[in-house]
Amino acid sequence: MTTVLNKQSTKDSVFDGLGKALGDYKIAALTRREGKILFDYVKDVREIEQEYVPTVLSPKKFFFPQEEIILEYTFDGKVTAKTNPEKIILFGVRPCDISGMKILDEAFSESHGDPNYLSKRENSIIIGIDCKSVCDEDAFCFRVNSQNPESGFDIMLHDIGNEYSMTIFSDKGKEFAETYFDSTLLDYAALAKFNIEKKEAFAKSGGAWEDLDNLPEIFEENSNHKIWETEAERCLSCGSCIMVCPTCYCFDVVDELALSMKVGDRLRRWDACMLRSFAEVAGGENFREEVENRVKHRINRKFNFLMKKHNQAVCIGCGRCVRACLAEISPVTIVEELTKTSRALKLEEKNENLYLPEKVTITKVEQFTENEKFFEVEFDNGRSLGHDPGQFVQLSILGIGEAAISISSPPSFGSRFEMVVRTVGDVTSKLHTLGEGDHLFIRGPFGHGFDDQIQKKMEGKHILYIAGGIGYVPLRSLINLTLKHPEKYKKISILYGCRTPEDQMFKDELQYISSLGGNIELLETVDIGNDKWLKNTGVITELIPMAKFDHLNTVAIICGPPVMYKFVIQTLKRHRLTTDNMYVSLERRMKCGVGKCGHCQIDDLYVCQCGPVFRFSEIEDKEEAL
Amino acid sequence: MSKPKVAFFDFTSCEGCQLSILNLETELLELLDIIDIVEFREAMSEKSDTYDIAVIEGSFSRDKDLKRLKKIRETAGVVIAMGSCAHIGGINSLRNNQTREDVQRIVYPDNPTLYETNKKALPISGAITVDAFVPGCPVDVKEFVKIVKNLVLGKAPGLPTYPVCVECKMNENTCVYEYGKTCLGPIVRAGCDAVCTSNGGVCIGCRGLIPNPNINSQKDIMEKYGLDMNLIMDSMNLFMTEEPKEV
Repeated sequence: MTTVLNKQSTKDSVFDGLGKALGDYKIAALTRREGKILFDYVKDVREIEQEYVPTVLSPKKFFFPQEEIILEYTFDGKVTAKTNPEKIILFGVRPCDISGMKILDEAFSESHGDPNYLSKRENSIIIGIDCKSVCDEDAFCFRVNSQNPESGFDIMLHDIGNEYSMTIFSDKGKEFAETYFDSTLLDYAALAKFNIEKKEAFAKSGGAWEDLDNLPEIFEENSNHKIWETEAERCLSCGSCIMVCPTCYCFDVVDELALSMKVGDRLRRWDACMLRSFAEVAGGENFREEVENRVKHRINRKFNFLMKKHNQAVCIGCGRCVRACLAEISPVTIVEELTKTSRALKLEEKNENLYLPEKVTITKVEQFTENEKFFEVEFDNGRSLGHDPGQFVQLSILGIGEAAISISSPPSFGSRFEMVVRTVGDVTSKLHTLGEGDHLFIRGPFGHGFDDQIQKKMEGKHILYIAGGIGYVPLRSLINLTLKHPEKYKKISILYGCRTPEDQMFKDELQYISSLGGNIELLETVDIGNDKWLKNTGVITELIPMAKFDHLNTVAIICGPPVMYKFVIQTLKRHRLTTDNMYVSLERRMKCGVGKCGHCQIDDLYVCQCGPVFRFSEIEDKEEAL
Repeated sequence: MSKPKVAFFDFTSCEGCQLSILNLETELLELLDIIDIVEFREAMSEKSDTYDIAVIEGSFSRDKDLKRLKKIRETAGVVIAMGSCAHIGGINSLRNNQTREDVQRIVYPDNPTLYETNKKALPISGAITVDAFVPGCPVDVKEFVKIVKNLVLGKAPGLPTYPVCVECKMNENTCVYEYGKTCLGPIVRAGCDAVCTSNGGVCIGCRGLIPNPNINSQKDIMEKYGLDMNLIMDSMNLFMTEEPKEV
């Protein structure tokens, strides 16, 4: 059992001491090299940078270098193991990296101890410098509790002004401090003050994840979560996240022969499970060929697979991978999203009654037109709606009733979503009197929207959105989703018709869309213009030829008032577009949302279940459809 | 083990890769311990009708070269395409999006047909089967030696399939995107030890794409950093016009 000793030294004495130690040890510290700040060996203590900025690589590289020789051999069969047990001091290591080192220590010492890592590690002295606050906005050490390591260092320095208060953890540390530092007894009050100030500063950024200890279970539950796919879609498989990770320790082993062909080395080199070839065997079979599997594997190692083994998250929240990822993939987003889904799942289990609504709070209201208002709401229980574009919710106000309202925001992981509501009935009229902070109740999402299958079918095609009046609202969810990746489509034409210019909704957004250019076009019309209206005046069918589409390569998506469908579909047919390539979103009276109450029935179909989105060829023969 | 005979040939190129090989100096002498160089126009006047390994620099851009290329293919057991031009078409392919007539007019405005060229400048694999590649403009001579060594040993050439970012991070560089520059590192094959990004430059793609690059995501990122689609395609096409970028 090591005793923890507390002492105190002036900063000058610490640096003088390090200067003296330079004769006996190699010292690696935070220093500046060609404009970058990194950990490197210094020849003079004056080279040491005192102000910390997060480094690209962690000090792990001194014990587990990017590349090292593990064997040397001659071709006549003489093989020598190679270790390099240098006496080094690592000075100025931050708490997160010390927590990371502790994980590497465990990984490299369990079962077969790794001679290369351990020989270097055993000969080293780690002198940490404690953090006073979170270093930047990408760091999330406070989420995984890595900012206060209780081991993994020999000496930890806490900056209390002109002096360092020292926590000495090991015999090596004690001996070193006694030999090189002039120490006095500790001023306990000063250390206590440091600790309180540190705690307060970190608390400002936030506390540990509430479900931190349950992450392995949460990850198991969510192995098919949609976030894996969306993150993988952006992932470049560049391996940067792993190269900079202080707790990643996978490596590759390669032989390199000298040109003489008489002697050679066996090297080990950092490798990364994010790289495509990582799990490929000689026969060509690849056990993690898909990016999604690799993203999953990497994050699961941190919060599930290895977390079970080490009894702590194998991510120290240093933020290096977040800073390094050009595609902005972050473990924080993934952990928080999975946690949220798991919580919502648990709520759902409790909340099985289909008629039981969940409470939401209005977070934003905007008057769009005389009769239409925009509402953003947020689930009080923090769950995300998890909808497809084109789906709807049952919105209710207690005492007034329930109404089916379409969702106008694209699918997102957040707990907020958007709707635009026209005052037509009791519920909607009452809703218009409510404001930010007021509560509503929501059931859903319900119905069959523009699901993955339809979205896949749209890829590579010219997309013709045809929206009349408030019909823009249910389409907006899909429109905004496709605008995120316009390159997936041949062209995107948005045809939007209203009665008058005043009836147009999302004016700022429309302006933005028309400025996008490229393969995106916005064609607008109004039935009755005014002096300021310079765009088309006339019915929406007039816009259809302007979109200049090739009928063999186009998908039309239509939503508007009942009268509009007939004329739009006639015009599209005249341009030889088949009804297979037309999708409509239908409005009907709905009470239950789950195919029971009967109000929305079209012949044998329930709009609330089979629709509201239909491929037109599915319903064109149904008498009651249009 | 008898030493394999190696011959160097050049087609449409600046011959800079061969020059790089000659600059090897000390290693070149050691290399001669394991191979015999029997033809190398830039370094010696001897020629040879037989050789085991053919190293080809340059793109295939004239029909009349086809005969010579086929002869090389028939003679050599192993054909190595050396440098961007031979490996992926390189700079020569930049003009492939213009018509032959336009290109000829640019070269000889007064007498365009004097410039004898195909519609496209292609990598050597556009004419004959290639067994191994040495990427880069110019090639990294250490990698050249490594690949020759591996082939002589009977191993696979050993090109990395991961992108430049891996080596760039190992060198502990701050990502050039943090300085507001754009770089093709995430989709371009490593093996150069991130020489450009480690020396103040950005990756411009001379080594060609990695297998399965995420082109869409790369475009999104470059767009986010202020490049419009034309500039993005220009930068991806500088060396990689002939690299398949459709997803």
